[in-house]
Amino acid sequence: MTVTLHTFSKGGIHPATHKDLTASAPIETLPPPSEVWLPLSQHIGEPSVPCVAKNDLVVRGQKIAEAAGSGVPIHASISGKVRPLDKRPHPTLVSAPCIIIAGDGQRTEREWTDDPAWRELPREEAIARIRDAGLVGLGGAAFPTWRKLTLPPGAKVDTLVINGAECEPYLTSDFRTMLEQPLEVVEGSIAMARLTGVKRVMLGIEIDKSAAIAPLEAAAREARTDGITFEVVPCEVRYPQGAEKQLVESLLGRKVPARALPSAVGVVVQNVATAVAVVDALRWRKPLMDRVVTVTGDGVPHPKNLRVPLGTLLSALVQACGGVSPDVTRVIAGGPMMGRALPRLDLPVVKGLNGLVLLKGRGPLEDGNGPCISCARCVDACPLGLEPDQVSIRVEAGKSLESGPFGALECYECGSCSYVCPSGRPLLQFMQVAKATVRRAGELRIAT
Amino acid sequence: MSETTATRPFIVEPGPHVHVEESTARIMWWVNGSLAPAAIWGVFVFGLPALIVLVSSIAGALGGEALAQRLLKRRLTLADGSAFCTGLLLAMTLPPRLPWYAALLGGLFAILFGKMIFGGLGFNLFNPALVGRAFLMASFPLAMTAGWMAPQPWFRAPLDAATTPTPLAALREHGLGAALAAASAHGSPWLALLLGLRPGSIGEVSVLLVALGAAVLLARGILRLTIPLAVFAGVALVTLPSGTVALQLTGGGLWLGAFFMATDYVTSPNTRNGQIVFGLVIGMLTAVIRLYGGYPEGICYAILLANTLVPALNLWFRPRRVALAGAPS
Repeated sequence: MTVTLHTFSKGGIHPATHKDLTASAPIETLPPPSEVWLPLSQHIGEPSVPCVAKNDLVVRGQKIAEAAGSGVPIHASISGKVRPLDKRPHPTLVSAPCIIIAGDGQRTEREWTDDPAWRELPREEAIARIRDAGLVGLGGAAFPTWRKLTLPPGAKVDTLVINGAECEPYLTSDFRTMLEQPLEVVEGSIAMARLTGVKRVMLGIEIDKSAAIAPLEAAAREARTDGITFEVVPCEVRYPQGAEKQLVESLLGRKVPARALPSAVGVVVQNVATAVAVVDALRWRKPLMDRVVTVTGDGVPHPKNLRVPLGTLLSALVQACGGVSPDVTRVIAGGPMMGRALPRLDLPVVKGLNGLVLLKGRGPLEDGNGPCISCARCVDACPLGLEPDQVSIRVEAGKSLESGPFGALECYECGSCSYVCPSGRPLLQFMQVAKATVRRAGELRIAT
Repeated sequence: MSETTATRPFIVEPGPHVHVEESTARIMWWVNGSLAPAAIWGVFVFGLPALIVLVSSIAGALGGEALAQRLLKRRLTLADGSAFCTGLLLAMTLPPRLPWYAALLGGLFAILFGKMIFGGLGFNLFNPALVGRAFLMASFPLAMTAGWMAPQPWFRAPLDAATTPTPLAALREHGLGAALAAASAHGSPWLALLLGLRPGSIGEVSVLLVALGAAVLLARGILRLTIPLAVFAGVALVTLPSGTVALQLTGGGLWLGAFFMATDYVTSPNTRNGQIVFGLVIGMLTAVIRLYGGYPEGICYAILLANTLVPALNLWFRPRRVALAGAPS
């Protein structure tokens, strides 16, 4: 049987996926750690406001910080005693105030009751439950889910795209989730479709994860769909297919304008793990307490997919995988394309962390870089049709302001250009410099 | 273990944290390697004189780069294979009986005035090897236009072998019959043109081996066919009325130029449409020079002239933006 694989129209790269390291590793649940650090900032938006005090005893699932503004609340991920609020290292913010819970080792958890009417909840009630559950996009961006489900006025949306592309090399947490919890993926997707008023759900999955397609389709037949269609769409393996704009183009052929959201072309995009969490939030009123993290790379002896309480230290995750190999040089939070290098492992798992990749050997930038030889590989690789080469030579010449016409502002930083550059030029960073400079100049012009 | 590893500092670099297995040096050495069969064949066909030209030209190019980088107190980059490539390519465009010092000077000039004076690798406007060749045409006109020799069995060629016109030179002076005769010392002229058993530049003679090298680069993703095909189309378009298309396409340095010099990354346009225009211009200019100009060959000057268009072509033919701001599709 031949399957037509969907994909986006231009650019993209094919880095080695290394997914075989963990693709067949079922998600393991770690025992509760002795201590968790729960940063007040784990989402895009205002930090949450603590609602517990020093020495309070908390149970797992209890709210410990209230949502502020457009943000979300935070919940205890283990049971134990609250220690004084303190600053701790943070994977993306360097350091941030954290609620620290010293675990009691008891696994005491709030009682969850099944709400049989969870599918028929009024919209406001459902959105409130999703917000109160502290739910954010679990694909990495950590944008509050309730905000994404609250469409801008006037937006006409007809399709919910569920992102199961997982195009970043090494990561398999979404794949394992689709394989092990297909019914939750489908039911959460249907629920979100209902909340956004669309009749069609399309789940985009890259074909190297084809093992999850049959379970998802079986689940879609089994689930109550309320007249909403659920379609699994196989896609080519091609980075950055999992970027919202590329996935929308792959599945629907619609091109999201630069600097606009998918809703501009009638689409809302949510991640598969978010869909699972939505079922917990609506049906059981269970907040986000755990998440699945792929711990992998040639720098750990036993790569695994781990379900861990939020706030667990990364060092504990690595210990569970056999510890750090002696010659590990780099630790990446997220995938190796768009992830961030971490200086240390005494950092907490936050809501948006989908992977931890430990690598040996030299990083791509360590050997220095050469001049642009105009091979145009970056131009061919850019999924947006931008010109990183032209931007880079202008930034190098101190003429960042002239780089606007070559697309610096449109870049969403997938890194494909840097990946392919044979001269090892940090093209992504040139794009970032150009973007910042052009933006600031624009702000100055408006201000004066 | 946990105490030490938990706080051990790791290298923090901006992403992406993985990189394709490819580098400028690797690309250059693949180009050099894919040129090797045609160059070695040139030595086989023309003997010791050809080898001397090859070695002298490469030595001149490497020496030029080392000299410039030493004087400018820059990092020595001979290992990246780019200067070697310039020297090799230049030699392959030269007649086998060119004196060694001319080849050496050509290599030196190619690097110093074709590349380093613009700022080194990546900054040059013109193809350095062809700058070297143009310099030699001006400085050693006689040796450059009369240094041809008939194919000789390996190493039996005397250093003072008699000069022979190339097929294209014969075509220019005496017409198609003479051109084919110039290539028929070893049987069928067309077979001789394919195999390279005819008078000509060291590396241009065997279109088969040039094509083989190009095929290797094509398979490695280093080369694309856009420019060469456009060059051939341009030549065919202009020479069609003259009835000599087949000879024009195979009788000179067209294949070497189209596959290995017009495609130089630095001095060719970035987008496909720009490359098509660039290739067509080169092909048509080549044919115009050959038919109406002062030289039997034209690809060298055609590429150099087209090189000047590249900055403009890059601005005129831009990649298509997938979706512009504020323009939903």
